[in-house]
Amino acid sequence: MAIITTHNLSKVYNPDTIPVHALRDVSLEFEEGEFTTVRGPSGSGKTTLLNMIGGLDIPTEGFVEIDGTRITGMKDRELINFRLNNIGFVFQAYNLIPVFTAYENVSFIMLLQKREKSEMKERAEELLTAMGLSKKFDSRPKQLSGGEQQRVAVARALASRPKFILADEPTANLDTDSAMNLLDMMEKMNKEENVTFIFSTHDQRVIDRARRVITMVDGAIFKDERK
Amino acid sequence: MLLSISWRNIWRHPARSGVLLMAIVAGLWAGILVSALTNGWIHQRFVNLIQEEITHAQIHHPEFRTEGEPWMYIENSDDIFSFLDRDERILSWSARALIGGMIQSPLTSSGVQIRGVQTDRERATTTFHENLTEGDYLDSELRNPVLLGERLANKLNVEVGNRIVLTFQDLDNEITSGSFTISGLFRTASNPYDERNVFVRDVDLQELLGDAVFHEIAMMLQDEGLSEAVTSNINNEFENIVAESWYELSPELRYITDMGGGLIVYIMAVILLALAFGILNTMLMAIFERMRELGMLLAIGMNKMRVFFMIMLESVILTLTGAAGGLLLAWLTLEYLGEKGIDMTSMGGDSMAEFGYDAVVYPIAYSNDYLTTITLVVITALLAAIYPAFKALSLNPREVVRE
Repeated sequence: MAIITTHNLSKVYNPDTIPVHALRDVSLEFEEGEFTTVRGPSGSGKTTLLNMIGGLDIPTEGFVEIDGTRITGMKDRELINFRLNNIGFVFQAYNLIPVFTAYENVSFIMLLQKREKSEMKERAEELLTAMGLSKKFDSRPKQLSGGEQQRVAVARALASRPKFILADEPTANLDTDSAMNLLDMMEKMNKEENVTFIFSTHDQRVIDRARRVITMVDGAIFKDERK
Repeated sequence: MLLSISWRNIWRHPARSGVLLMAIVAGLWAGILVSALTNGWIHQRFVNLIQEEITHAQIHHPEFRTEGEPWMYIENSDDIFSFLDRDERILSWSARALIGGMIQSPLTSSGVQIRGVQTDRERATTTFHENLTEGDYLDSELRNPVLLGERLANKLNVEVGNRIVLTFQDLDNEITSGSFTISGLFRTASNPYDERNVFVRDVDLQELLGDAVFHEIAMMLQDEGLSEAVTSNINNEFENIVAESWYELSPELRYITDMGGGLIVYIMAVILLALAFGILNTMLMAIFERMRELGMLLAIGMNKMRVFFMIMLESVILTLTGAAGGLLLAWLTLEYLGEKGIDMTSMGGDSMAEFGYDAVVYPIAYSNDYLTTITLVVITALLAAIYPAFKALSLNPREVVRE
């Protein structure tokens, strides 16, 4: 059964002035455990699609279902709560909380979920260790390299035990070694914990590692390939 | 965790937060100090008037305070004295014969209020005797002793031991006069009072008046708050007299006392209004700098109420930290100045005596002043943070996380 379904998604920005069609009738299904890349040139609609799936943007037409729950049309408060418990986000610029340590950055989301302290500790340590950051628990983002920061961001995304992770250009700011290392970690989590990953990227290194590649052009699905 | 994140957020820019904290510390310190100074002035004025002269309540002939005629004395004063002796709420009382008259020295003369007091009772009821700067009180061995204010003595060019003549109307409206010897000089906080009042023994004055009458009975009570109840009882019990509380006798004293109570609110409101813009500016800058981070928090599932609360908390913590510093500094300063006092003489403090205020002020801050300040600080912090907090809520995570 598909974990994510998009039904005829369309998005038009500035409909009353100069309309920009960011998405055109996009219907897709994502199965649990997929390692998918959404590729395409700038302005092709990759990020808009991820934002729709993540409930950060509202489609002009169509809707999104996550594990049978229609998130399009949900109230703001419900949607925030839904994101907290179902979706993990990894951003291009890492977006860690600079005043928190790596450990606190990872635990923070579990705190929002009101998890038990012992569970939080166990999960945060387990994830940071899995990401190769066992010696960096107490390091603040400033004390970490870009690759390490992004690994903390992935650990944070995984900490809430989401149904899937949306990663928007996660390797864009990383050098090759850091990018490959990050991809190794994410692939490992995908295989070992069956975590579903969806990337938007034009980084060939990511595209090469993906098992499904969706190519978008001008807001529409141009190609959907499975390896 | 919110508390922790808020606290750490404040210190992201130590210099910026530090400057604001210093402004809050300085503002509150100055506010408390000014308020304490005014409190001190008011308190001293209250003590001077109540303890030296007015006391908590007084009894007069119903028209004496407006007309001041010698024959408007208190009838059945012995019955009233017995009544006052029985009332446990009254600590002490003193009866006075009061006559308007003239004082004459070999050099010049002046209009004065002649106050014939019961020496022992007056000493037990008021602290006026503590104002004696030279010579002896009225219980000296001298015949017809009189106490003069220093300023009046200078004006008349007389000194202790000299004789002066007091002239006034007796109870039959006949002009009478008597020779008195200056036994002592006094100086109160009020120059006008010192120039217009002379003190003699009640018996000496009554002898000249023609009868043992009293025009005023002054009472010190267990507590100033009892004045209304005590005067009400006396008024119900006796006819042809009027008993009045201190605030009826001196409405201006009541006014400055009431005004003093609320002064801290006005002073702090002005200071905090200015500080509010500083807090608003700091919080807005903090929000603009952290837009991406706040967008991330909203994206990953931190609800808007928590984000709002976090911003408000930052503002409150920042302001309360400054407030704690300001209050502590103010407290330490007042601990020192409360003992030592502030001599305002070099700043024109002498002229304050023209209005009945001391030149040396002992600032007083009441616990309520600190509480009021803290309350106002929290209100200011919350009000100043509302706009930045709403600004944070209006962020669209989709837009800011990619910026």
